[in-house]
This record gives sequence, C-alpha cells and structure tokens, in this order.
Amino acid sequence: MNFIMWILTSRRLILVILLCFLILLLVMVVCACCGTQDISLSRVFEGPSKLPGENVDYEIFMGIRLPRVVLAALVGAALASSGVVLQAILRNPLADPYILGISSGAGLGVIIAFLSGLSFNLLAGSPVAVFAFGGSLFTVWLVWLIGYFAGRLNVTSLLLAGVVVNAFFSAVIMFLTSIARSEQLRATVYWLMGSITEKPASVLGFSGVGIVGGIVILFIISNKLNAISVGENEAKSVGVDPVSIKLAAFSLTAFITAIAVSLSGLIGFVGLVVPHGVRVVLGPDHRTLVPVSAIVGAIFLVSADTLSRTVFGQEQLPVGVITAMAGGPFFLFLLAKYCKGISWLK
Amino acid sequence: MKPIIKIENLCFGYYPDRSIFDNLCLTVIEKEFWAIAGPNGVGKTTLLNLLCGLLKAKHGRVEVESKNISAYTARKLAQKIAIVRQEFAPLFDFKVREIVSMARIPYLGTFGFEQKADYEKIEEAFELTGTSELAARKFGGLSSGERQRVLIAKALAQDTPILFFDEPTSFLDLKHQVQIYDLLRKMQLEKNKTVLAVTHDINLAVQYCDKTLLLGEHCIFQYGITEEVLRREQIEKIFNVSIYTSAAEGKEYFIPVGKYGKKKDV
Repeated sequence: MNFIMWILTSRRLILVILLCFLILLLVMVVCACCGTQDISLSRVFEGPSKLPGENVDYEIFMGIRLPRVVLAALVGAALASSGVVLQAILRNPLADPYILGISSGAGLGVIIAFLSGLSFNLLAGSPVAVFAFGGSLFTVWLVWLIGYFAGRLNVTSLLLAGVVVNAFFSAVIMFLTSIARSEQLRATVYWLMGSITEKPASVLGFSGVGIVGGIVILFIISNKLNAISVGENEAKSVGVDPVSIKLAAFSLTAFITAIAVSLSGLIGFVGLVVPHGVRVVLGPDHRTLVPVSAIVGAIFLVSADTLSRTVFGQEQLPVGVITAMAGGPFFLFLLAKYCKGISWLK
Repeated sequence: MKPIIKIENLCFGYYPDRSIFDNLCLTVIEKEFWAIAGPNGVGKTTLLNLLCGLLKAKHGRVEVESKNISAYTARKLAQKIAIVRQEFAPLFDFKVREIVSMARIPYLGTFGFEQKADYEKIEEAFELTGTSELAARKFGGLSSGERQRVLIAKALAQDTPILFFDEPTSFLDLKHQVQIYDLLRKMQLEKNKTVLAVTHDINLAVQYCDKTLLLGEHCIFQYGITEEVLRREQIEKIFNVSIYTSAAEGKEYFIPVGKYGKKKDV
C-alpha cells in the first residue's frame, strides 16, 4: 500500500531514475563491446557454443568485459552515493567518501598485506582486498570514537578526527613504503592510484548485494538527509533525530565505500564531482540526489574505465588517473558556473 | 480555556554555579499569543529550546497537551510544536518550495514522499503567508522579509497547534516588523495557533501579545497580561535603562533613553 502510494506520488523521480538506468545499461553494453579485441554483439547473443573456444566473442564478453563493467558500475555507484550523503551529513561541500580517513586506513591495510606476503582466500577475496576492507572499517570506527569523545559526533570534531587519523596513517604508510622492496612498492603505488581489474563472479555477487543494499537504505533515509543538510536543530524540530541518522548514514557509507575500496583501490574524484554535477542539474533534494548520483557515478566510472583500458592499447592506465584528469577540469567548470550563479542571484 | 503548555518548577543552567531558570512555573492557555521578553543572555532562546525538547531540564517538568515532553518521540513532538529559529542557513541551494516541504517530514511514510494531503497543507501555508509567488525561487536569493515569511509558511505547513518564534523581526525594517507580527496574529486568530515569540522589542509585544513573560537576570521572571507586566518601572529595572513612555491608541509604548543623547552634556 505504502509502496503503491509512493509510486503514484513520485512519478517524476521514477521517470528520471528509469531514464538514467537505461542510459547506464546502454553505456555498459557499449563499453563492454569496446576493447583491444573487437567483438560483435550478434555473436554474443548467439550464446555459448558447445565447444570452448568456438564462440570467442561470447567468452570475452561474458568472462572478461561484463564482469569488469559491472565492477566499475558498482564501485562508481558506491562512491558517488557515499559522497552525496557525506556532503549532507558533514554539511561540507568538499566532503568525499574518503574524508573520514578511509583512504589512509585502506592504504595501510594494503601495504601491510603486500609486505607480509600473506596469501589466503576469504569469501573469494584476496589478502589485499580483505586488508583494505578491514583497514577502512577500522579507521572509520577509530574516527567515530575520537569524534564521539571529542564532541559527541559534532561535525567539526569528526572532520578534525578524520584529518588527524589520515595524517597519522599516511605517515605510517610512508614509513612502510620507505622500507619496502621495490616490487612491493610498485604494487602498493599502483593500488593507491585506483584501478579496476577483472574479479570472479562470486566477489561481484557479494559486493553487489552489499553496495546495492546500502544504497537502497540510504535512499530510504534520504528525506531526513534533506532536514539535516539544513541544520541539526532544524532537523530535530521536524522530528528527525540527527544522531541516529548520522550514525546510520556514516555506517552505511563506510560500509559501501570500504567494499568499493577493497575492490578497486583509491579512485578519487567520483565521490566529489558526481554529487555536485547531479546537484547542479537536478537540485539538492536528496531523494533524487541519492539514487541519481549512484547511477551517474556508475556511468562515469564505467566510461572512465573503458578509456583506461583502450587508449593505450594493451597497456592499462589506472582508472584513478583518468577520473582525476577528467574530474578536475569538470569540477573547475562546475565551480565557475556555481559561483556565477551565486553572484547573479545577488 | 485549556492549558496547552505547562511548565512546573523548571530549573536549568549551562554551568553548575550559574543557573538560568530557578523554579520557573508557567501555564500557557490554548490560542494565546505570548511574548517572551527580556535583555540579552537571560535565557529566552534557552527557554524555547527547553520547551521543544532540544535541551533537558535539570529539575521540573514541561507538559505539552497534558503530556510530559520526554514522553514524546521526536516525530510526535514535531507534530505539536513548530519552531522558527533565528539562524537558518541551508547548505545547498534549496528552492523555497523544497524548504517549506521539509515541514511535512514528521508526517511522511517509509519512503519519505509527500502525499496529496501534504501538498494541500503546503499550498495552504503559501497562501496564508502570501508567499505563493516565491515558491519557485531559490531560498538563498530572498530578502530578509521574504525569508522570514517563507519560514513562517514552513512552520504553518508543519500543521502544529503550537508555534515558536525566536526573534522573528531581528533583521527587519519597520514595515516588515509589523507585517510579520500581523501574520503571527493572523495565525493565532484564523488558524487557532498558540504562539510564543521571543523578542527584544517590548513595543511589538505591547501592540500584539495577549500575555508576556518577562525574564531578568538572576532567574527573575514575571508573567501575566502584557499591559500589567510591561510597566515602566519594571522595564527600567529589568533592562537597567531609563525609559520614556508615550501613549498611542490607548497603549503605552516605551522608548529607551541613553546617557549621551544629542541634547545632553557628555
């Protein structure tokens, strides 16, 4: 009943989401067809052949391209929606998914994984992924703890706690890289740049459920994010408890960002640029912003990843380089447009 | 004559050695228009925050519609009390309609979308406050007077029996000051709201408010019918300033007189 009412009263939003989702599907199919090896869609649709190696197009599409495109979409969606939510909760337009120290925590986890040379397989995750995930969640937990004791999850104390933990862990990372051997160092640096590589279907399954589930819950609390982005007292006066919403939003964004980071390393700019871009076009209502940013983030990262594996032929570029190179100028453009908008209003 | 807010033996202080309220007792009857007046720093805003549950009293109790406010959930209390605060700084570039729509959050279902009834309340609030033509504008681009009217529309859209205002006229010129108070009075008379407005401006209180709570330093308080509370000697004592009174339309208004005015020897 509730769900039917929701569909009736939010037709515009549903249309926008459907449209974006169709574009995402289109982009995913197109990107899956691009690559060093040309494949034709009609051959793919013929399905698997009886003998392996007979329908190569199908095998490349299903075995390599599609998992990679899906992975990029999941990571992009997680980063962009986390960015939206953190900007609202921290009341800071510069917030991105890594602002509360996830990046350094994950980096530290990864370098420890490389240095220790461990090898195991937990839920189909490699040591690097598991350590990145653990490191991310540990850091966020630490930042909360500091923020909580410094000022009851007050925004400024949280941000300061994030900065302090980030600085300390970065120092530890630098110390560890300075004593690392060169091949370990190269692997770490490559990971820190953020890159998307093919992952087994089971990994995609677990992380897909986690990320999509997290985004759905964020969407359900998104009208409360509107209230909080106006002010915490203001939120309370319309019956929204800011502490519980903040805790829920932080836990969810930490969780989906940690999954994204463990899959692909530190891909910058998606979580900062996409929310701002969508906000400029569709306005700041988080009920639209959360789902649409997730889809646009997915489109952005799928496209960026396709560029990263095609521009230099066989040699792959870390996708983080592409997102930063494309995101930086785009962000400047937005900033200029946004500031002009403000002065025009005055 | 039903009491809607009841304060019993309220004690509060931000620091243990400095209390702001000591045994404050007060009953607000339905559909009354109250002014909460007094100098800076005596706890006018603090009182509003205690009444809407943002702060917790050390001792004593606050009842809204005969129920202790600590027994309300945040959502239920938001269906009883709407508050317009002094500071209102949205982080993002919300449109006026989006700001006013947020007042419906305490009534929304799981997915958080407005229904037909919500849209009706929002439209009604726009009409009553004369802000319909502002609905599509950006909130950040409004003038102070328009802002205040939109925030009143928001409080109205929240559809509560009680409205709180914290210094609703602090940045407004003369015309907009009376415009806002006219609007508050209209809410009281036409929509049967109980209105509590914190103000420094005792003359607006004289003109518009049925009852006044006058707060002074050292936990002094006095309340009652506005004309009885706001008398010259009382104001001189509480505000620690000399007062010149002047009558108009049968009401007594107060003008503060400084030490070094133009015709005086410095």
